[in-house]
Amino acid sequence: MSREGRVEDLRERFSRVPGIGRPSELTLLAAAIAVALVAPLGWLFLEVFDLGPRALELTLDSRTIEILLRSVALVAIVTAGSVLVGVPIALLTARTDLPFARLFTVLAALPLAVPSYLGALAVLSAFGTGGVLTSVLAPVGIEQLPEISGFAGAALVLTLYTYPYVLLTTRASLLSLDTSLIEAARTLDAGRLEAFRRVTLPQIAPGIAAGALLVALYTLADFGTPNFMGVEVFTQAIYARYNTTMRPWAALLSLQLLAVTVGILYLESKVGADDEGAYQSRGASGGAVIELGTWRYVAALFPAVIAGLAIALPVIVFGLWLSSDAGGYTAGGLAFSWTYGWNSVYLALFAAGASLLVAMPVAVAAARGRSRLAGLADRLSYVGYATPGIVLAFALVLFALNTLPLSYRETAYDLLLILVFAYVVRFVPQAIGAIRTATMQVDGRLIEAARTLGRTRTEAFRAVTLPLIAPGIATGAALVFLTTMKELPATLLLRPFWFDHTLVTYIWRVREAGLYGRAAVPALVLIVISALSMAVILSQEGSNT
Amino acid sequence: MTDRDDRPGRDAEGKTSANPGRNHGLFTYLGKPKSNMTRRSASRRQFLGAVGAGALGGLAGCANPFESETTEGSGEELSVPSLAQFRGSGTLVEGRPAPGGTSIEDLPDLSGSLNIYMGGGEGGIYERFIEMLEEIYPEFTGFTDDAPSSSQAQSIVEAVQSGGSQADVFWSIDAASLGYVAENDAYEPLAAEALEPVPEDFQGADGSWVGVAGRARSVPYNTETIEESEIPETVAQFPETAALQGTMGWAPTYGAFKAFVTAMRLQKGAETTRQWLESMRNAGTERYPNEYVVTQAVADGELTAGFANHYYAMRVKNQRPDAPLDLAFTSGDAGALVNVAGILQIEGTEKDALITDFVRHLLSAEAQEFFATVSYAYPMIPGVEPVGGLPTVDELNPPEIDLADLSDLEPTLELMSEAGVSG
Repeated sequence: MSREGRVEDLRERFSRVPGIGRPSELTLLAAAIAVALVAPLGWLFLEVFDLGPRALELTLDSRTIEILLRSVALVAIVTAGSVLVGVPIALLTARTDLPFARLFTVLAALPLAVPSYLGALAVLSAFGTGGVLTSVLAPVGIEQLPEISGFAGAALVLTLYTYPYVLLTTRASLLSLDTSLIEAARTLDAGRLEAFRRVTLPQIAPGIAAGALLVALYTLADFGTPNFMGVEVFTQAIYARYNTTMRPWAALLSLQLLAVTVGILYLESKVGADDEGAYQSRGASGGAVIELGTWRYVAALFPAVIAGLAIALPVIVFGLWLSSDAGGYTAGGLAFSWTYGWNSVYLALFAAGASLLVAMPVAVAAARGRSRLAGLADRLSYVGYATPGIVLAFALVLFALNTLPLSYRETAYDLLLILVFAYVVRFVPQAIGAIRTATMQVDGRLIEAARTLGRTRTEAFRAVTLPLIAPGIATGAALVFLTTMKELPATLLLRPFWFDHTLVTYIWRVREAGLYGRAAVPALVLIVISALSMAVILSQEGSNT
Repeated sequence: MTDRDDRPGRDAEGKTSANPGRNHGLFTYLGKPKSNMTRRSASRRQFLGAVGAGALGGLAGCANPFESETTEGSGEELSVPSLAQFRGSGTLVEGRPAPGGTSIEDLPDLSGSLNIYMGGGEGGIYERFIEMLEEIYPEFTGFTDDAPSSSQAQSIVEAVQSGGSQADVFWSIDAASLGYVAENDAYEPLAAEALEPVPEDFQGADGSWVGVAGRARSVPYNTETIEESEIPETVAQFPETAALQGTMGWAPTYGAFKAFVTAMRLQKGAETTRQWLESMRNAGTERYPNEYVVTQAVADGELTAGFANHYYAMRVKNQRPDAPLDLAFTSGDAGALVNVAGILQIEGTEKDALITDFVRHLLSAEAQEFFATVSYAYPMIPGVEPVGGLPTVDELNPPEIDLADLSDLEPTLELMSEAGVSG
């Protein structure tokens, strides 16, 4: 730590002395909010308690164990697959003389913009007997394509749409890599491979692990893909049992799913513990590009094919649906209406507004106060983020049923309070993150100056902090808005009677009815929306570095 | 707030009309979207589309298809669309006789709003019918939820047990879900007038529910590759039938297939059922994603026969009248299971009178003709014939089981996965 930093630190310590051990109102508010966000999960425990000894029986039931093993296997395969795809592309774009490296980076990151359930829908209808692709490929003599569904299908789709997490985090650590170390290793007679293994890999491992964590959590929590592919993993099994006479079993599976999530977070905290050194070494970077020679054109095929498959396939399939009658799959009712799009926008605006109200105190408290409580409140709010949507939605159904009398329950549903609450719990951490980062960048001396000029704390906040963090607030709101548009399980379970379909529930509905062709317009709209949300994330990252 | 028509967005708010004005102020304050107002105009377009399709289809026996009947309702003029507008289109529908039964014209007007749990609703077809009713009766609104029937059955029972449900009626696509709600006492018996049009076979005990539309399990077969006489009388004989080896298809993930297996389990026991699934699998029966695809594959000659709900064959026949496709029905076993979509009044609703009239509308001549010709369902009233020369319901020989028992799905899923035919 530099001298200046140390002085800064001391000043900070002294200024905090009077407040030690007495959390401010802001911190208490933040903590209360965080607790309220997490509390509904408690009703899952109550539901399981009702099972009594049968809970143990069901835990040891071979089908429960199969679900657990299948889920873990899917997570392991998708995570490994994402690393195998993401890391090479990161190396190619960051460390070699790949042609159009910048273009390929963007292209290879794009699959993140397609919600994986849409990818699943596209893959399901593209392949197999009578699939969309066979009609396209028939003129070139390909009339039979194997069906892609089930476990393999889910693993393929999830890998295809989540590897960019690994790509982006690995690339970030590659770009900040101290390349002089590699050169040193090479001068010490280490081969290229050995240098990679002994120098580069340990340095970028935390980056890879960070991406792998995101992939693992996404895979475990994803609701749409396994349901569309028909794979009995946790999210699918919970929904299936929620739909039948076995809701307590669904609660039990929900708790198991939460336990597995915690397990993954724990594993990552072990691997990621020493990541400081890796990210902090900022020596000479940039140089030492690996020259591939003419192989670079062959190498370019790899990201091109992968990204092409992930992006082009859904666009082609949905596009074909638009232009044809999709083989009778649009027969019957359920015509698309643009009001569904407006409904999605309305919910997303509501969610974004509510998230800001919650995020502001938590984020400002977390950025300012260094008290344990503020930190805990900040952390606690992230629990919702890691909680799979289906589990949260189920918990809220139980919560509303068991705590609210009918008239209040009706009002809570009708005013969309329960649904928006679910969105806030799931997505508020994105807003908190954006606002906290912005708040931490506000120069404390400006606020001090305002205070010495006689402003109260609130006035100073309004006059100085608020204008400075406005872009962060806008980013946070935009992220919540865009992710809400794509949200599936909570919207499915918590939508009130009077509220008609949203884009996502409509897609779900026509898929259930076998009228795939009807999903074309909403699916394409959602892809555009997702692309926007990625643009927001990337621009945010760009401004941070 | 006495004249609800004065309120903007009446559709949207009418939903909570057990307590009609309650949320009004709050909704206005929150700037609630006008989704349902616009939905109404969307539904009008859909309706006109349906009318157009109906008019283009066969209209034999109908002098002027565009003529609308006007009735004097409660002092207001209501326009009931002509019969043709309730009919589907295509060759199967041509030349049908006028349906018997009570016409909508002779029924009391619908006025008010209902919260309807409408599980699945046959790919939007039930929803379309609600929209038609809303067209006829501007005073009537149906708010629908289309989660799966089994899920709604759960929700109803849980909600009634903890104070009350938000829904008034349950229009389930299967009898099992109705049975579940009935067994758990979350229903109120339907009025005699609502039950009266339907034979007792398709009513729940104590008038707990009444059937609206039926469907039968069937064996679609390709008429070019097999004779009807070669198709066995019972499903038990299928695995040993030489002509069917390696040429059959099924869709085990489909709900109706699971109901079929459940019926077999209830009738013949778990062990026999598991063995049957295994021997069918060993006979090379191919898996398909859904029964529509199975039926298409039979029509294409890709398969000789399959297991599917009867209406898929009707759908294929209606698009491809010349397809070499016909239906066989087994006798006295799960292969001839007849299941019904039905309606139930949820305990605690205060809209008994409206529900009675609503159910009578679903059992009207027009509604039954609509279900018979648009979703190719088995009509539930004696005056309406099934389409396409299907045997009538009394000619079928379904297994002797209580349809409500079909809700016990878990043992079925277990034995299916044991047999390697996972659902």
